[in-house]
Amino acid sequence: MKKREIPIIAFKCKKCGRIHYPFHDRCLTCLSRDFEKIHPQGNAKLLTFSAIFNLPWGFDQRFLIIGIAEFENKVKVMGQIKADSIDELQTGMTVLPTWEPVRVKDGENIYGVKFEPIK
Amino acid sequence: MRDVAIIGAGMIPFGRRDEDTLLEMLSYASLKALDDAGMGDKKVDAVYVGNMGAGILQHQSSIASSLVDRLSLLPAAADVVENGPASGGSALKNGFLAVASGYYDYVLVVGGEKMREVTGWRATDFVATMTHPEVEYPYGITLPGMAGMFTQLYMEKWGVTREHLLAVTLKNQEMGALNPYAHVEMTLSRDGIFDSPDAVVNNPYAASPLHLYDLCPVSDGAAAVILCPLDVAKKRGKACVQIVGFGQATDTHTLQEREDPTDLKAVTLASQQALEMAKLKPSDISVAELHDAFTILEIAESEHVGFFKKGEGGKAAAAGKTRLGGQIPINVSGGLKARGHPVGGTGVAQVVDIVFQLRHELPENRQVKDAKTGLTINFGGFGNNVTCFVLKRIEP
Ligand SMILES: [Zn+2]
Repeated sequence: MKKREIPIIAFKCKKCGRIHYPFHDRCLTCLSRDFEKIHPQGNAKLLTFSAIFNLPWGFDQRFLIIGIAEFENKVKVMGQIKADSIDELQTGMTVLPTWEPVRVKDGENIYGVKFEPIK
Repeated sequence: MRDVAIIGAGMIPFGRRDEDTLLEMLSYASLKALDDAGMGDKKVDAVYVGNMGAGILQHQSSIASSLVDRLSLLPAAADVVENGPASGGSALKNGFLAVASGYYDYVLVVGGEKMREVTGWRATDFVATMTHPEVEYPYGITLPGMAGMFTQLYMEKWGVTREHLLAVTLKNQEMGALNPYAHVEMTLSRDGIFDSPDAVVNNPYAASPLHLYDLCPVSDGAAAVILCPLDVAKKRGKACVQIVGFGQATDTHTLQEREDPTDLKAVTLASQQALEMAKLKPSDISVAELHDAFTILEIAESEHVGFFKKGEGGKAAAAGKTRLGGQIPINVSGGLKARGHPVGGTGVAQVVDIVFQLRHELPENRQVKDAKTGLTINFGGFGNNVTCFVLKRIEP
């Protein structure tokens, strides 16, 4: 179960309800500065993805699949996708979020979201 | 506001320029523009340098101060303008406003970048520093990756196909091969990158669904223009080019926070502002340079500027409507795809190419016949900061 805890904080505008991630000092819709902190909930829907070759410095692998997914409570998050090929993926599919190391910096793991297609 | 003219334009060949430092490239392009304008010993009041990455790539700061010193333009005011891959467009904006306001009379705007002195790994990482430092960059996202995610959606929503993207690749490579300043000097065969069994090897995925030849190269290069009041330019008795429209708009930093990520709002707004200022419609434009860092962007921008309806841009490209002699010739220079994309230089290079077109000085195989007006789109970030210029030929 602990893998399902996604320690991301998104920000729901208390005035108009717009959900922000990342944080903005003022609401993108109504300029309000009052936000409720919320966590992504449940599974997510894959909105788009790309298998990226020619990775940046710091990634020692042949390719990486990255996508954007929307959680059940409408928080949208970029993450790495756990799939061997884009043939396993399609937009709109349900993906299972996990919190795992996404890169190594100065010998330390950096954690982030990974999405796993539900087979 | 005063009317502003471009009286000089110049660029150096883009590509891999190991022999030159960044400062040398900026100098060479500036000298070409100064000479083209016939400036002689006339004083330049201000210099704006478009550059994205000297601090990261060359470990060098304050390059505008170095440039005016090298060019003996002291004591001209000098600033670096940074707006990612739209740094050139933003530098030109500053020059334009400075002359329009009446504060300065003669302004040099130069944009350039030296990207090939670092490895591809480092260059990709450098460009990725534009992404959000907390919610995007750590995942290993790259600009081609952003474009891949955008293309996935654009194809699904607007019916763009790989054939449409291919038409842009082939057109721009073909035109680049005719351009002596272009980074890529070879044409591509449809067979080699699409139809034949070898195409999978020659043209693999770079960032799905985009393939290698959907991406622009990583380039060194620089381009420059000289601005002055239109009244002064008119006294020279030569055809010149007026900046008749400018627009700039921003959008959310991250793709995920856009209500419809296929909607390039900043492109729409920037071009609307520029066309409105110029009192022109998209159909009045003779030639356009759009920011095709990825082939999908040429198609998407051609729709967002209003040359074609949404969903029609890809079909138009495949039907040859954006070729020389077509309804609206786009990227006759070869675009970023073939001229190359030294990030801070691109916005100025686009304008230089339009100036060449509007002065009617290109060879027949590249000249848009009787071109009167031109438009440029310089696309910063992944569409989060976009500039647009509308230029017009002024008869002698
Ligand atoms: Zn709000």
